Amino acid sequence: MIYSRNIALIIFMLSTAVVNSESVLIQDITILDGKNNEPFVGNVLIDDNKISQVSTSSLRGDLVINGTGKILTPGIISTDTEIGIVEIGALSVTRDDSSNLYQIGFSIYDAFNPNSVLIPWNRSNGITSTLTLPQNTNSPIGGLGSFFVLDSSLEISGSKDVVMIGRVGGSGSKSRAETFAIIEDLLEFASSIDSSDMKTYKDIAEIIDGSPIAETMDLHPRDLKALHKLVNDELPLIIKANRASDLLKLIKLKEEYDLNLIIMGAQEAGLVASRIAESKIPLIINPINNIPESFDELGANIELAGKLEDLGITLMFNAPRDHNYHLIRQGAGVAVANGMSYAGALKALTLSPVEVFKLGNRGQIAPGKIADLIIWDADPLEPSSMPEKVFINGEDIDLTSRMSRLTERYTKNKEKPNGYRN
Amino acid sequence: MTNLSKIPIYYSSILIILTATFVEAKPFESTYEPLPSENILISNANIYDGEGNEFLSTDLLIQDRKIVAIGEDLPINNTFKVIDATGKWITPGIIDIHSHMGVYPAPGVSTSSDGNEATSPVTADVWAEHSIWVQDPQYALALKGGITAFHILPGSANLIGGRGVTVKNIQRNTIDSMKFPDAPHSLKMACGENPKRVYGNRQQAPSTRMGNAAGYRKAWIEAEAYLSRLDEYEAKSEEAKEIGYKPQRNLEQDTLAGVLRGEILVHNHCYRAEEMATMINIANEFNYKITAFHHGVEAYKIADLLAENGICGALWADWWGFKHEAYDMVQANIAILDQALNGKGCAIVHSDDAIGIQHLNQEASKALAAGLRAGFNITKARAMNWITSNPAKAAGIYDQTGSLKVGKNADVVIWSKNPFSVYALVEKVFIDGATAYDRESNFEPASDFDVGIISPNKNRIEE
Repeated sequence: MIYSRNIALIIFMLSTAVVNSESVLIQDITILDGKNNEPFVGNVLIDDNKISQVSTSSLRGDLVINGTGKILTPGIISTDTEIGIVEIGALSVTRDDSSNLYQIGFSIYDAFNPNSVLIPWNRSNGITSTLTLPQNTNSPIGGLGSFFVLDSSLEISGSKDVVMIGRVGGSGSKSRAETFAIIEDLLEFASSIDSSDMKTYKDIAEIIDGSPIAETMDLHPRDLKALHKLVNDELPLIIKANRASDLLKLIKLKEEYDLNLIIMGAQEAGLVASRIAESKIPLIINPINNIPESFDELGANIELAGKLEDLGITLMFNAPRDHNYHLIRQGAGVAVANGMSYAGALKALTLSPVEVFKLGNRGQIAPGKIADLIIWDADPLEPSSMPEKVFINGEDIDLTSRMSRLTERYTKNKEKPNGYRN
Repeated sequence: MTNLSKIPIYYSSILIILTATFVEAKPFESTYEPLPSENILISNANIYDGEGNEFLSTDLLIQDRKIVAIGEDLPINNTFKVIDATGKWITPGIIDIHSHMGVYPAPGVSTSSDGNEATSPVTADVWAEHSIWVQDPQYALALKGGITAFHILPGSANLIGGRGVTVKNIQRNTIDSMKFPDAPHSLKMACGENPKRVYGNRQQAPSTRMGNAAGYRKAWIEAEAYLSRLDEYEAKSEEAKEIGYKPQRNLEQDTLAGVLRGEILVHNHCYRAEEMATMINIANEFNYKITAFHHGVEAYKIADLLAENGICGALWADWWGFKHEAYDMVQANIAILDQALNGKGCAIVHSDDAIGIQHLNQEASKALAAGLRAGFNITKARAMNWITSNPAKAAGIYDQTGSLKVGKNADVVIWSKNPFSVYALVEKVFIDGATAYDRESNFEPASDFDVGIISPNKNRIEE
């Protein structure tokens, strides 16, 4: 009995191994490679988890998918989400995005839930990986975001703590001048620490005890380690800021402390666009958001993306948090409608986040890249278009989601009571 | 009393005039005056008329602020301005049935956050129009998305949140001068999580969904009593009226009695299927009509029930998950409701959002695409009804606007491309035949808030 079961298992393993080693050829498809190149019709070969060839001449593959009339893009990388750490916005028991104790070193990595219903949903909308960010902590800089590949594997695939977040601007409780002062003090403090003095937990605790800012802010060794990483290891720092004067101050901070700075929001970037271009600071913007929602955002403008692109500023997009991450694609379409180049908008969804946050060998359709790929039924920047196939790490992903199941439940087999449908 | 609940809502504005005998004066009447207009021939356009029809390469004639003809080779004289719309698309003015512009204006600061009178679960006495900030910079942004009229509602903190108001998308410095003439008043009601959370957190009723239901019913019982006192008084002879006391007016009951008399349209925030069914039961118990359920993330589960009862669903294309009652979203929700009982459903795409209102065409496009994927056969021309004639019906202004029918107000949008594309931009908007927005000549309104607020000699988003 045990023997035969083992045989069955071995056969099963062999058969899956065979499936995995089959190459997949996507044939005669319009390729938007994510890198600013003109679209072209060609063939893409997937071997294992990688793109092995991209060619306009014919290729051979074990499994052939006809892509005639369809469009192939890299998988979309969402740069500002709570995917995997918040299941239902208003239900605090499903929220794992904030900490009561830690500030600068708070990491959400261990909270990630690969079984979240947001993952199949976002995948079915063409999002294959995400930069998941915590809520802001009490400290103006702090909280660490991680990168996750949305493959639903219970063994998390991604990279831990790849970015720190922060925020400056009108707060209603304190002056933004204080916010900037705290950031400067924290950076000064971190820069003054010699790595060799940080060997043990006790060392770090002593360093904190000797620093007024660290002590006042009640920092923990975990916080100090993250701060140290920020000033010494070029950890990317995303600061949310909108007002033009804040953006200029952040440019100065970047230069003074040699930060790997990215600004998110940046609603008034159009007012200081040439300074941002000189600073080479990449921006994460929501191109559809033109609402002067606060006194920091008075310059909000639907034409922002195109104007920033014209100056050579690296752009990435976000969408409103709280489950509407799939709207990132609609935002990109609106950016194009209002002046951005098509290739530029697609790059903002794919290759730019990879380059800015060093997310590995993906985000582009080119030989050697990880095969995170989407076959679209029509123009991917039209929100009415949807993926027909999604490949993550070369694997053809089932696009069933809770939403598609519910749709089926209420459109098919209606003669049965709903509880007894699919 | 005639049962008004069975009469199509678009006649209700006429009925108001016939039945509203007990109200001595109508305060806060619309003083709307249209912008200066011309007689216009829009030639060679592709048209979605808001009645489910598509016409290619057709002319549309606007005269004396009204649509006077759609067809080919329409006769004009030299007083007509001619706009060549070759390759472009025309739709009725877009209408949003769920907006909080003005009552939750931008910037979203506490000093003008005026949408929820969250001090008591039943505030039928408050009117959203009395909260409106006429300088909200969001109206002009919505105009550039083709919005010609919108329905402003109180928020959803309360079981009965107060009266809503329909306005023209015209920047003016009084509320009355924005109000849509002869539009019926509406009443905002809310189911579910919001009221029970707001009041439950204060250790007062309602703190549960059953508490919600009790709260509505108690309010309607009082309203019935108030209405019968009014009816009793009205039925008296003139002599008897002189010697008897007239029942004292009560603002809260005025509104609720207006609903029971069929004069005020009920707009009910409600997400879950079983709660919508409960609200229908309550409406039947007290013999009033629900005009539309708003948000209705689970409308698809009871689409036939909504269609049977002639209740519209004002829905998002794909918002979800921000709370538990919004967890069961399907993108085909709007299409499933539209197709209920062989196409008898009344589906509306709403925004509830100052960004969404600028792109209702894109929201309709997503909802249509999801419907087609779910196997329904729905035309773009029909999907256009979701953002034009259907919201006009739900706002009670369909007799005046919401479709390009001869005789209706010339509320018209010219789009650069097919409006179901994300790349389509609004080129011109006409409200009552007057140009309200023209992309080509940068003719657009700016609120006083926009003036000199970033740079003294420019408007907010001026180059």
